[in-house]
Amino acid sequence: MSDLLQVKNLYTSFNTEDGVVPAVNGISFNLKHGESLGIVGESGCGKSVACLSIMRLIGHPGKVEADEIKLDGTELQALSEKKMRSMRGNDMAFIFQEPMTSLNPVYTIGFQLQEAIQLHQGLNKEQSQHKSIEMLEMVGIPRAEKVFSEYPHSLSGGMRQRAMIAMALSCEPKILFADEPTTALDVTIQAQILELMTDLRQRINTSIIFISHDLGVISEMVDRVIVMYCGIIIEDTDVRTLIKNPRHPYTIGLINSKPRIDVELERLEPISGSVPNPLNMPSGCPYHPRCESAMEICREKLPENHEIKDGHRVCCWLFSELGGKIKS
Amino acid sequence: MTEPIVKLENIKKYFPIRGGVFSRVVGNIKAVDDVSFVINKGETLGLVGESGCGKSTLGRTILKLLDPTGGRAFYKNNDIFKTDKQQLRHLRRELQIIFQDPFSSLNPRLNVGEIIGESLEIHGEVSGKEKQERVEYMLEVCGLAPHHHRRYPHEFSGGQRQRIGIARALTLNPDFVVADEPISSLDVSIQAQIVNLMEELQDTFGLTYLFISHDLSMVRHISNNVAVMYLGKVVEICGKNELYQNPLHPYTQALLSAVPIMDPDAKSKRIILKGDVPSPANPPPGCNFNPRCRYAEERCRQEEPELREISPGHQVSCHLVEKGVGKLD
Repeated sequence: MSDLLQVKNLYTSFNTEDGVVPAVNGISFNLKHGESLGIVGESGCGKSVACLSIMRLIGHPGKVEADEIKLDGTELQALSEKKMRSMRGNDMAFIFQEPMTSLNPVYTIGFQLQEAIQLHQGLNKEQSQHKSIEMLEMVGIPRAEKVFSEYPHSLSGGMRQRAMIAMALSCEPKILFADEPTTALDVTIQAQILELMTDLRQRINTSIIFISHDLGVISEMVDRVIVMYCGIIIEDTDVRTLIKNPRHPYTIGLINSKPRIDVELERLEPISGSVPNPLNMPSGCPYHPRCESAMEICREKLPENHEIKDGHRVCCWLFSELGGKIKS
Repeated sequence: MTEPIVKLENIKKYFPIRGGVFSRVVGNIKAVDDVSFVINKGETLGLVGESGCGKSTLGRTILKLLDPTGGRAFYKNNDIFKTDKQQLRHLRRELQIIFQDPFSSLNPRLNVGEIIGESLEIHGEVSGKEKQERVEYMLEVCGLAPHHHRRYPHEFSGGQRQRIGIARALTLNPDFVVADEPISSLDVSIQAQIVNLMEELQDTFGLTYLFISHDLSMVRHISNNVAVMYLGKVVEICGKNELYQNPLHPYTQALLSAVPIMDPDAKSKRIILKGDVPSPANPPPGCNFNPRCRYAEERCRQEEPELREISPGHQVSCHLVEKGVGKLD
């Protein structure tokens, strides 16, 4: 399979009054056609910003720099704003976290759906209305024809998220960014939405980048996972390896600190300390102040990527020739 | 040792809906409707349910932070709802609450020492140097440095703020603490820290918790007993292992099956519930859950089920339990 999206050395920083905040600190990854990729990490690790940077949705005071952001061979950074606008929604679509705030409250659901379809697919009013209702039906909204002319406030959270998904998929994008699409929803509604997304993925061959902080959701939804911490990718592997055999101390900590519904644990093993302030990043590896296996070099130099197995890369000094052992 | 410390009898909390020119009461939102259970000393009762099911309202009503519409709540032998202002203030030493949002539940204009020490002063417990010592002790117990008492809430991270919230709740040495989603606004790696802290404190001070959460995995970890709420009512209550291994109410079964499992090999036998939670202002007739229940029969649409004891310590409110709903698959 060829690569659909190639990202190389992406840096995003925000120039604030207090100083420069490096939100994304040099990440590289590829996404294959039809693949679903998960990005996991805690709040502030840069997972959303990375995706917004790819779509060129970062505004002032943000600054995006990358060696390469290629979608299907097209370098996105070189495109004019007009060209970029025609790609957003058409080739790449975004589902936001909060279905409550990401729909415009003063327009009907139908209007907001039609807008994108008319703009990108050149359909007329009647055709686009037909298509919109079809999309609403596809995402399992009951009485789609009525919902078409209703406003967002009259829908529940789960229904709004369905409408968002309908909107994102209406132009059959090549790549779909789903930024914590179920975080704001209740578990039973989350189950509905996840099932819908799995089902739709089988029907339309869209590549998905699925952002979440919940490893449970990730392990059900994706093929491959990237773990981010403080703006860097610390581990990148397929989902099975990540859950069964994680190698980076942070990933191990993350998995151990989560209680399981299917297994009884005597005591949780939290990661000590907290995420560092982005204005005052520690030197070397950003995880070293919390890492129990930290060595001398971790405090001094940012680790390199080590490919420990085919397709499994870990950004940690423990896997270099320097050695070191993971303490647990 | 199963000595009941908090006993609830038919607790009701309705919020009136006003309408019309004269703002007359035109209906009620039954946020909590007829809830009864007992919490034993030194144990944790987990209260789970989806948003809007009334779990937080129940937590606040028990402490009389909201005026109850009906029912009785006992702490030891005191009827909490019948106490006058002075008695209530006295009772509040024993009954405390940890709030959900550590960002809005701490006064930004008070420093940490004042936040934690305020209750000591109000209750005339100690002041001056003794108060200072007590504050520093509490900070240390909750995993913060004693010198932090001079700082202000904005200088702390979410996890640290929640520690301050816990320290504040525990300064008066309470018996019973309502923890209202204490971890839901925190990151995964911090959640475990706070839960471990709460467990340690429970051992140290012999606390009894009502742990309100929508995180079913965390509730399994921390609780002794678990109550499941749906639309203002408790639909199932029992020991945690019983609940997670042998859920009897169709809603509990669906709720548990909906939790994503961190295991790529797990074959999920997920029960997908149709539709949304109905509005508590206009609950369906009969069993509240009937429009979403896949087993619902005629009887469920007409008759409201009562919470009944099915086996020792396991109460369920469903007409169809004897028929073994959900056992088939």
